Amino acid sequence: MRPRRAPARTVVTFIIRRLIGTVFLLIVVSMITFAIFFLIPKLAGQNAYQLASEYVGRNPTRSAILQVEAKLGLNDPIYLQYGRFLKGIVVGVHYRSGPSVTYCPPPCFGYSFRTGLPVWPQMVSDIPVTLSLAIGASILWLVGGVSIGVLSALRRGTLFDRFSMGVALAGVSLPIFFTGLIALELFSYKWPIFPNVQFVPFTQNPLLWARNLVLPWIVLAFLYAALYARLTRAGMLETMSEDYIRTARAKGLRERKVIFKHGLRAALTPIVTIFGMDLGLLLGGAIITEVTFSLHGLGLFTVEAVQNQDLPEILGVTMLAAFFIVIANLVVDILYAVVDPRVRH
Amino acid sequence: MRRPRTFGLAALGAAAALALAACGGSSGGGGSSGTGSSSNASYNAGITSVVNPSTHKGGTLTFDWRAAPDSFDPGNTYYAADWDFARFYSMALMTYKNCPGACGKTLVPALATGPGVVSDKGLTWTYHIKPGIKFEDGTTVTSKDVKYAVERTFDRGVLPNGPSYFQVLLGGNAAKYPGPYKDRSKNLMGLTAIGTPNATTVVFHLAKPFSDFNYLVTIPQTAPVPPNKDTGAKYQLHPISTGPYKFQSYQLNKQAVLVPNTQWKQSTDPTVSQLASKIVVNMNMNPNDVDNRLIAGDAQVDFAGTGVQAAARAKILANPSLKANSDDPITGFGWFFYIDSKVAPFTNVDCRRAIEYAANHTTLQNAYGGPIAGGAIGSTVMPPTVTGYQKFDLYEATTKPNGDPAKAKQELKACGHPSGFSTGIAYRSDRPTETQGAQALQQALSQVGIKTTLHGYPSSTYYTNFAGVPKYMSSHNIGIAFGGWGADWPDGYGFLDELVNGNTIVPAGNTNIGQLNDPVVNNLFAKAAGLNNAAQRNAIWGQIDRQVMKDAVIVPIVYAKALIYRPSSLSNVYFQQAYQLNNYAVEGLKS
Repeated sequence: MRPRRAPARTVVTFIIRRLIGTVFLLIVVSMITFAIFFLIPKLAGQNAYQLASEYVGRNPTRSAILQVEAKLGLNDPIYLQYGRFLKGIVVGVHYRSGPSVTYCPPPCFGYSFRTGLPVWPQMVSDIPVTLSLAIGASILWLVGGVSIGVLSALRRGTLFDRFSMGVALAGVSLPIFFTGLIALELFSYKWPIFPNVQFVPFTQNPLLWARNLVLPWIVLAFLYAALYARLTRAGMLETMSEDYIRTARAKGLRERKVIFKHGLRAALTPIVTIFGMDLGLLLGGAIITEVTFSLHGLGLFTVEAVQNQDLPEILGVTMLAAFFIVIANLVVDILYAVVDPRVRH
Repeated sequence: MRRPRTFGLAALGAAAALALAACGGSSGGGGSSGTGSSSNASYNAGITSVVNPSTHKGGTLTFDWRAAPDSFDPGNTYYAADWDFARFYSMALMTYKNCPGACGKTLVPALATGPGVVSDKGLTWTYHIKPGIKFEDGTTVTSKDVKYAVERTFDRGVLPNGPSYFQVLLGGNAAKYPGPYKDRSKNLMGLTAIGTPNATTVVFHLAKPFSDFNYLVTIPQTAPVPPNKDTGAKYQLHPISTGPYKFQSYQLNKQAVLVPNTQWKQSTDPTVSQLASKIVVNMNMNPNDVDNRLIAGDAQVDFAGTGVQAAARAKILANPSLKANSDDPITGFGWFFYIDSKVAPFTNVDCRRAIEYAANHTTLQNAYGGPIAGGAIGSTVMPPTVTGYQKFDLYEATTKPNGDPAKAKQELKACGHPSGFSTGIAYRSDRPTETQGAQALQQALSQVGIKTTLHGYPSSTYYTNFAGVPKYMSSHNIGIAFGGWGADWPDGYGFLDELVNGNTIVPAGNTNIGQLNDPVVNNLFAKAAGLNNAAQRNAIWGQIDRQVMKDAVIVPIVYAKALIYRPSSLSNVYFQQAYQLNNYAVEGLKS
């Protein structure tokens, strides 16, 4: 008979195993992203000179294009370019930025093809915006969505249930660029309850930080809360019809305990999974919300990077978004592993 | 000059925005401090006069921008709006007179004491620098700082965005000079084509005569840069100011804050003003939000200056008080399509002329946004705001705007294709105006038997990989390509040279897509380059325009217009033809 391992040790082993898997996954993501932006255009016939010419001013001379080509290393073999990219992330990189050579410390995702400045500090400066937006909105939609879902399930068929599910359907159906503009027009311009919406760092003025984020939070939460309300309602309806709920009631447990301890807890399991995924995705950039409200987070950074065809920026933000998603999944898995021993194996 | 990009995602919200326009329709436009007409404000007043003239000092002047600069480094920028704005913190050798209308294209000195003195058969241009001009740190500007500013633009690996005129036009070792970051010899002054005989004199030695040189030195690349303060790619984060304002902070592509430069004196630089106590530039804003903020008075200037979006346009035009605070000028930018003279059957000029007659200018104008947002129907290559423009209409574009199928058929007969032919149309598929324009043209050409296939390409590679590659155009039988142009400076050379001079045809990145290599045109360009008499030179631009239209390699669509909103709180507002934008550097707040 095998000796039983201590649960804490098992959880640690599980986390280490997953972290190693995470690193491997990120390397695969970086290889795929790199191939999409550097290898595929080459396979389609675009040469280094043509690529370089996209990053020079209008009507450049041939020598100007060649200088840019050399500076960006576009003429090097793809494996060399990828190796340089990875090396930058791990140990940093030195590059010529004018009169002196600049050191870009790790994690260095290279420097922008457009601005010539390192990508990582730009992304880091955008993280607080996205974090503020995602955390605030996620609290709203989790609390709002789950509460409405539970109430709807418990009052199935009532006017409240129909109304809230109708609103939920509208929330899922209406795109943020529509609800966002409506919200701005009504509450920022027509009735200026939230005028001049601009991001103010929490550390600078917490009150203004919250006031200026209320509209984006509500708009973003409206979309997600709708989804969560419907999921919670469906989960609760299913759970509340289980035999063990009937047994709990038959044993004389109080209804509140039946609902929250036995019903909601079971119904929340899939919600936790989806919440982890959604939060991870949003931390990589709430693109449409950020664009609609002109919030300079990772989402807006992504849009700029794509519009400018700025490959290092696109690579950097893709890696960061992948990192957030993988980490969010890891946290969810760890939570599962803690509550459900079967997952550890 | 280039126009900055706009958000692609904004298009997704267009329907919502248009619906919202109705919400605010005639309610007074948000009813805040930014609305209402002022004493001399009326629709289009800013095209011919200064609106809200004022010397009031103080307040924060807020610019909202749907994009971000290619760079705030004066040596590394090619956006029209950046060049206009750069005068707040940099002094080029020459600039333009502060006045609306055609007067605003008059060259006046900025850092220089006067226009360049030409010698050596047009090969040498000498400028003297005004005494007492200082950088923001109090050090005096010398001729070496101007020379260094030009030198550093030669290193395109570090500063890739600006124009290449100096590399092409200067003599001496300019063809091989790598820039001061690589050539650290001679105390960083290794470019032999620029001489600095004393601290206040700069001498440019050209490889060939270039009579537009005074225009060239209006470009911010000639604004002085102190070598010991140059940080290369990082210089954009804090350019050392010689203008009325200096950078207090700049969060890259997010927000810049400028405050008055205490070393600057109005007496030495009357072409700009120091009225506001602070200037804030918000970048990468949602275009619809920019318009709403202008109307609400949260911002005073749309940095891009290319006009409001469809939603705000509807709102402004429907409301008399908002309309009174707007202008709809011809910007100086032209939209057109090329006909490639090297792609059969367009090797025959009559086949090209058939296209000129068959095009339906009304549907094309509508595709570009109609007469207010799109522009006025064009009949010449140069728009009316360009110096040297002459009015003519060889193909009845303005008299028969719906096209003349009968004459088109006559031309088809003359070129040996009486029942038409097949060709391709290239356009930028991420630009709705060009997509609709290509469809409108396809429809019009089908009326005379010309069958076309549409080829949409991304903007970013349009010139480098597709329409600007003559071999690609020929091998794919694409004879027509949509395009547009805004001059780097407002005379015929600035507008025409890259479009139709035979010397500018290149294998990739070609902007003479018509591949016109007409000796008549080329000789006129060569003649103008050696003419220092402005009147004679300007007459030549009109001749070139007429000859190009005879050659029928370009079909003008519209002289671009833009509905520009100016909040009533903004002072000294007018459209300056030289910048194809409002003159930012004199603006302030009314109270």
